[in-house]
Amino acid sequence: MVDRRVEKGVKRGKPFEIEVDGETLVAYEGETVAAVLVAAGRRTFRWTEKKKHPRGMYCGIGLCHECMMVINGVPNTKACQTVATPGCQVKSQHGLGKRSA
Amino acid sequence: MKELELVILGAGPGGLAAAVEAARAGVSVTLLDENPKPGGQIFRQFRDGFQVTNPSMLGHDFVRGHQLLSEFDRVRDRVEILDNSVVWALSEGNELAFYRGDDSYSVRYKKMVIAAGAYDRPVPFPGWTLPGVFTAGGAQSLVKTQRVLPGGNFLLAGTGPLQLALANQITNAGGRVVAITEAGRVENWFGLIRGALGQWRLLGDAVHYLYGVRKAGIPLWRNHIVVEARGHGQVEEAVVAEVDKNWRPKPGTYHTVKVDTLCVGYGFVPSVELTRLAECEHRYEPLLGGWIPVRNDRMQTTVPDVYAVGDCTGIAGSLVAIEEGRIAGLGAARRLGHLTSMEARGRMAPSRQRLAGLQRLRKVLDRISVPRPGLYELAKDDTIVCRCEEITLGEVKAALADGATDMKEVKRMTRMGMGNCQGRMCGPAMQEIIAREKGLSPDRIGYLNPRPPVRPIPLGVLAGHREMQT
Repeated sequence: MVDRRVEKGVKRGKPFEIEVDGETLVAYEGETVAAVLVAAGRRTFRWTEKKKHPRGMYCGIGLCHECMMVINGVPNTKACQTVATPGCQVKSQHGLGKRSA
Repeated sequence: MKELELVILGAGPGGLAAAVEAARAGVSVTLLDENPKPGGQIFRQFRDGFQVTNPSMLGHDFVRGHQLLSEFDRVRDRVEILDNSVVWALSEGNELAFYRGDDSYSVRYKKMVIAAGAYDRPVPFPGWTLPGVFTAGGAQSLVKTQRVLPGGNFLLAGTGPLQLALANQITNAGGRVVAITEAGRVENWFGLIRGALGQWRLLGDAVHYLYGVRKAGIPLWRNHIVVEARGHGQVEEAVVAEVDKNWRPKPGTYHTVKVDTLCVGYGFVPSVELTRLAECEHRYEPLLGGWIPVRNDRMQTTVPDVYAVGDCTGIAGSLVAIEEGRIAGLGAARRLGHLTSMEARGRMAPSRQRLAGLQRLRKVLDRISVPRPGLYELAKDDTIVCRCEEITLGEVKAALADGATDMKEVKRMTRMGMGNCQGRMCGPAMQEIIAREKGLSPDRIGYLNPRPPVRPIPLGVLAGHREMQT
């Protein structure tokens, strides 16, 4: 599996696992959910409501809302602004997203 | 309701500098920022968990940011920091509403400094919504402070020095930059160097970045633009063309480049939703990035209790933001009675001098970075221009044919600008595109008016909204 993490210049914190669409990904303390997905080579974060187009991270600073996912059951959560935590449940968002248990 | 003496919105270079000067003068300062740590985009700090082992790997800005942040550290005990806080409304009677986590509050202020910064100018072109297309700043935020490469093979498309900086950062991180397309003219690069004389630090950066690009053997295609991104479900290739001086593609010069990641950077747009909400007067200044608040030389807007500094008042970079921040902080301290006018003037003098020196550079940067008309002709009728509501250029044109005369009417008729980003992504380019369709200058077609809440806020949080007491 690809790992696009850069080791130069920093030392990462503790590793832990998160679940993304049923798949287990390794995350490190301080990483955003978006960074964990990007590091694993994952591009598509959600599908749009009208045209069902794939969308991924775009602006990276919490403005564009393209990286909205269902995180721990809460839809419309910006993956680029959400820090991953151990056992975090992440799902791709379809359209406007539904709150899940 | 609690009344703050001075509230500063934004903890980037401008906001930090304002906080430092005002706190030193004895003002009780509240610094509100949406990030977990001060620094803003340019001096963004790592989140807890990361340990920096080699700051020089992380670029000049990171090192420079530390100087301002350590200045701030010395006054920190006199500043109330509201981190992870997002302002969603400003209203009459010097009142502001913000949310922080699951709580939403109203609070009053005597004086306010808005230092909201800027964001990458979004430009619609065919394929720009494909996963794998990032803004240059978005890609940079991943490489700089998450230390993750957003792809394997990169094409950097746009204009200006940020591209060179990003190319260096990607290369140093082990990524492969296939090429850089620079839409601007070659002569402008020499202009940059000439204009930067006297600003050795910045000149040094530019030369350093250019040297890095050469050393890595990255082709720098001048007078080229990316006209399309293609791929099934994500970027697989980009179409590049040579452009004339108006950035219009020349026939017969199109070719494709195999890349998985496209980073697009056509300069920045000032974030004016807060100065708009504060009902400050704005003017349209293409050279400075679009709509900007009108100010006097004390950084005061047309609303006397509201100051505005840094990139949200016209793109000029972090060095200008810092000096403007200092002036606004001192000006507010003077108005709040903590400094005599002579003291304030004396403390402002070094900043005024440095600003004068930076003016010359700013003028040259403006000339290179201002987009030319061809950039706004890339979108086709079936290209999505409003990413949130999935509105195409064709739909906007149909609304115009149906009689829409300005930005607000297009918004009402098509839903363009009504989505989660609140028009931040479509607004700047559509201001130019619709003006051209109408044969008017961009300042004659109104603007997308930000309405509270200017950021999406969960209803549950809104329901618990209350006044801040202590």
